[in-house]
Amino acid sequence: MTRYIATRFLLMIPTLLTVAVLIFLLVRVVPGDIVELRLVSGGSYVTREVVEAERARLGLNKPLGAQFVDWMTGLVRLDFGTSMWSGAPVSQEIGLRLQLSLELALLATVIATVLAIPLGTLAAVRRGTWVDQAVQVFSVAGLAVPSFWLGILMILLLLGTFHWLPPLTFTPLWVNPVANLSQLIWPALAVGYRYSAVASRMTRSAVLEVLREDYVRTAWSKGLAERVILRKHALRNALLPVTTVIGLEFAFLIGGLVVTEQVFNLNGVGKLIVDAISHRDYTLIQGLMMLVAAGYILANFVVDLIYGWLDPRISYG
Amino acid sequence: MAEAALPARIGLAVRPHPIRRFLRRYPLGAAGASLIVLMLLLGIFSARLAPYDPVAADFGAQFRAPGGAHWFGTDAYGRDVLSHLLYGARTALVIGFSSSILGATIGAIVGVISAYFAGTTDLLLQRLVDILISFPIIILAMAIVAILGSGTVNLILAIALSFIPRAERVVRSSALAVRETVYVDAARAIGAGHWRIIFRHMVPNVVAPYLVMLTAFLGQAILLEASLSFLGLGVSEPTPAWGLMLRGAAVDFVQRAPWMAIFPGVAISLAVLAFNVFGDALRDALDPRLRT
Repeated sequence: MTRYIATRFLLMIPTLLTVAVLIFLLVRVVPGDIVELRLVSGGSYVTREVVEAERARLGLNKPLGAQFVDWMTGLVRLDFGTSMWSGAPVSQEIGLRLQLSLELALLATVIATVLAIPLGTLAAVRRGTWVDQAVQVFSVAGLAVPSFWLGILMILLLLGTFHWLPPLTFTPLWVNPVANLSQLIWPALAVGYRYSAVASRMTRSAVLEVLREDYVRTAWSKGLAERVILRKHALRNALLPVTTVIGLEFAFLIGGLVVTEQVFNLNGVGKLIVDAISHRDYTLIQGLMMLVAAGYILANFVVDLIYGWLDPRISYG
Repeated sequence: MAEAALPARIGLAVRPHPIRRFLRRYPLGAAGASLIVLMLLLGIFSARLAPYDPVAADFGAQFRAPGGAHWFGTDAYGRDVLSHLLYGARTALVIGFSSSILGATIGAIVGVISAYFAGTTDLLLQRLVDILISFPIIILAMAIVAILGSGTVNLILAIALSFIPRAERVVRSSALAVRETVYVDAARAIGAGHWRIIFRHMVPNVVAPYLVMLTAFLGQAILLEASLSFLGLGVSEPTPAWGLMLRGAAVDFVQRAPWMAIFPGVAISLAVLAFNVFGDALRDALDPRLRT
């Protein structure tokens, strides 16, 4: 088990390395570099010397290989370089916002799980009835409604009923849990809805599949109560694919955060990505992309480990 | 007379037309399809249907509530929301269709090539796809916008590029099965070249997963275009777009003029919903194995 975890963990390194190479090259394939974009395309006139000096300052006058080695040796020491826009270290820029986004993502996951598993199971058990149809409508709509629009509607509703506006500053959980949760619950709902739609679809089809199994029929014919069959026979076995979806969607939550943080005025990683891209802050984009990829790879890893815990048949010899 | 009786005799007449059968078996998909047709018509004839110029500001008519001369009200610049929506449908459909077709087609061709050549080609391509798939579509599209710059054409390219690895994955798995079929062996036996086998024998046989992918992409592309435009990384102002309508003033003045935020959101949701339910029905009809 320990050996498996160790190997699996080490295997993440070459993957991340490839991601790094890819991102590094992608950012540099386009003609015209950051300096030109920022200094010249602004419309102002700049002398050649100023452009060259700025290039030298950002280390862009070095050969490509040397630039890559610089970036890589930094990465190994967990130094992501400095933001080309603000001049602050990339890790500091990200670190400041990570707490908020992580909490938001966890809240959204809790909401999605709490909604999706009961709803999906109910739909499967009452297949073909109005309950099933209602759940299906709920999940089909969840995939179609943009989360930023849902956010706007929530603000409209909250303004109308409680005269509540998204606060301008973020209150950390340990400073004031109530203020923190009342601030984050709405964006979490907006992001979590789509998430729960995906997960409840998965739960429904997984439970339907398990309900067709022989051991479920046996359980019925033994005269077991529906509740017992569902909890002990069906749901436990259906959880595996559902876990996969929840785990992998967690890694993809950053996509939902990008738009939702904008609506609710939250200064999180999603907003940072938007800002980095609007500013063409390439070092920051590189760092953020590494973070997103690492999040996905890590989520995969965690899902794998949860498998072993959920299903004793899976052993990591 | 004899000709007319022929189909009945061999039993063809009892079998309804495939389109009619689809409509009867998948009523939800049919509803989605009709909504798509309606949207296409509205988009094509937007210039004739729109009561006002969508981009002409009228500062005497700011924040008018729906009703009277402006059915869906006016926005912060006094522009007619309904006209803006109609022209926005055009933008959404043009970007949606071109990026989905581009992404799905390139992805499908690369997928078939990867499956056909197998070996190192396949291995390298699959590692690349593995990495690209580990980014959420919107993040990937945003990164590409950052590299290419904004603008409608670049937006189409960014969305298409982020679809390619996903289409590649799905089509490759179908192409792997096609590769082992007898007719591909036969083609090889008569001396057909690689490209002839790929384009004449393999590509036509992965059309079902291709179409399923394509319809799934259409809804996603519209949602993606709206999200990127909302973030200011997609279509840029005077071009009418649903995502842009929800940006800025729509949020700032949401209480004063809620119609500014409500109608574009309904339009986006309905469009995505239509493509999604139609896509689901098409998937069930063409290839139930692809069901997720």
